[in-house]
Amino acid sequence: MTTRSFRLLGIGVLIVAALCLPLLVTVPYFLQLTILALIWIVLAQGQNLIQGITGYVSIAQAGFMGVGAYCSTLLSVKLGWSVWLTLGVAPIFTALFAVLVGYPSLRVKGHYFAIVTLAYNMVIYIVLLTFTALTGGEAGIGGVPRPADIAFGGIVLSFGGRTGYYYLVLAAAAFATLLCALILRSRVGRILVAIRQNETLAEAMGVSAWRYKLFAFVVSASLAGLAGALYAHFIGFLNPDPFGVDQSLNAILAVILGGSGTLTGPIVGAFAVVFLPEYLRVAETYRLVMYGLVLVVATIFMPRGLVPLTSQAGQRLRALIGNQR
Amino acid sequence: MFVELVQQMLNGLAIGSVYTLIALGLTVVFGILGIAHFAHGSVAMSGGYLTFLFTERLGLSFFPAMALAMLAGAILGLLIERLAYRPVRDAPHINAFIIALGLTMMIEGINLIAFGADQVVIQTPYRGVFNVGGVVVAELRLQVILTTGVLIGVIAYLISRTKTGKSIRAVAQNRPAAVLMGVNVNQVSAVVFSVSSALGVAAGALVGALLAIAPGVGEGLAVKGFAVLILGGLGSIPGAIVGGLVLGISESLAAGFISSAYKDVIAFLVMIFVLLFRPEGLLGKR
Repeated sequence: MTTRSFRLLGIGVLIVAALCLPLLVTVPYFLQLTILALIWIVLAQGQNLIQGITGYVSIAQAGFMGVGAYCSTLLSVKLGWSVWLTLGVAPIFTALFAVLVGYPSLRVKGHYFAIVTLAYNMVIYIVLLTFTALTGGEAGIGGVPRPADIAFGGIVLSFGGRTGYYYLVLAAAAFATLLCALILRSRVGRILVAIRQNETLAEAMGVSAWRYKLFAFVVSASLAGLAGALYAHFIGFLNPDPFGVDQSLNAILAVILGGSGTLTGPIVGAFAVVFLPEYLRVAETYRLVMYGLVLVVATIFMPRGLVPLTSQAGQRLRALIGNQR
Repeated sequence: MFVELVQQMLNGLAIGSVYTLIALGLTVVFGILGIAHFAHGSVAMSGGYLTFLFTERLGLSFFPAMALAMLAGAILGLLIERLAYRPVRDAPHINAFIIALGLTMMIEGINLIAFGADQVVIQTPYRGVFNVGGVVVAELRLQVILTTGVLIGVIAYLISRTKTGKSIRAVAQNRPAAVLMGVNVNQVSAVVFSVSSALGVAAGALVGALLAIAPGVGEGLAVKGFAVLILGGLGSIPGAIVGGLVLGISESLAAGFISSAYKDVIAFLVMIFVLLFRPEGLLGKR
């Protein structure tokens, strides 16, 4: 079997498994976590676009998630807009916001870009917490609605329950992954990789780097905005807590653990950051320490992440079997 | 109005000198080793907690307790350099930064386990208050400014006058050349990390005396420290001093005249505004 058909088969199995999952899983808690992980895929794919592909570590992803979440929530709760509409508006609004803040931050490189985006995250968090007239502050906003049912011929698709929402976020995760795949395979994607490898050289070849960097930044922010909106309408209650800096660090962790710069890495990473803390709950007090330790050890010993590590191991295994034949 | 202005600027000077101390530690590590040591703020907080512990449990007065904590901080810095940063020295800089984030989580977690989640204020004997023409001058603030001045002087002397300082500068200028000239890079980075962490601990102790220490304060301090670096110019010691004072004063003016809830927002806006017009920082070179 060739590698290509092998891969296609793998993707096919994955799709069928993803579609059947709610029928097989009877534990609501597990489905809940899976939905969160799928939302995290949207976030992590965005993070990967700027961090893994372009090589600029942005620490504002949770902040952008908050912008999207509050945008969608406020429009649907206060103005009574349809949730389907606000789910579309939220990423666009976040993208516009990202254009505004991306321009000054992309004037600096490397660590300094990371720190400036971190400052953005702190500003967004403080504003969400303090501007109580609009956001409700720490007390938050309750009763965030789920998307309305869709009647399609005779079939009614309901998104009020977990199963319906599962398919919605599955579609969103697939969309985010496909979008990143398309970008990565396009000319733009190749330029982004070139910027990561050697920005000075890319500029010398006539690439206007800041445009492409801004593009990557804005797309990643709008994916985060979408993730935020999906999160808000799923949980049904919104306060600034999930949008602090630590959540942005989790997004970075997801990309690093999975394998930065790959398309499957963020998917693996998203599941890891959602499920790992649940299993580490046994050691609640040591969770932060363990988490940090995982990050440090992972960076030192497997800097390229889980996915490249396993595919490398797979290749070696195949080579080994091939030799014996 | 004028009195209020002077008052706020004076308050800003005190908190600005703490920012300067934090930024000084960061700028030395960044300028010489090229590492954005984000865990610096959390190290500073550990130092603050230790100082608190030494004053409460051992009954030491503030400055000896701080000196002891600085020693502990220097050892912690050595360990961090040896165990976490040295293995990724030749990897892309992004890896060192991610390690820094992991270290931040670890140290914050350890602080939480060791010292609890309660807010802590270090008691000092410097409770005097002078009134100069309507401006209230607290003795503690003066002590903070003075301590910062002394520490800056010590660092400046260390870097510009001693043999170790010379090798530090050589590594900062050109690492391969320094290695070829027989400079021990491992030793230099160990010295730099211990000095930087000791400075951070001093800043943490001063924050603990001036304001309060609590979980999460360290991350905020690290961000402020980097904001100062960006304001002042990368790897520049005078830049760290100017940047720290600018940030402290603008924050304090914002708190006094606009809104105390948004003071951090305004401080960051100042930073972003400077970036728009001088991406190399106030005292940085193009």
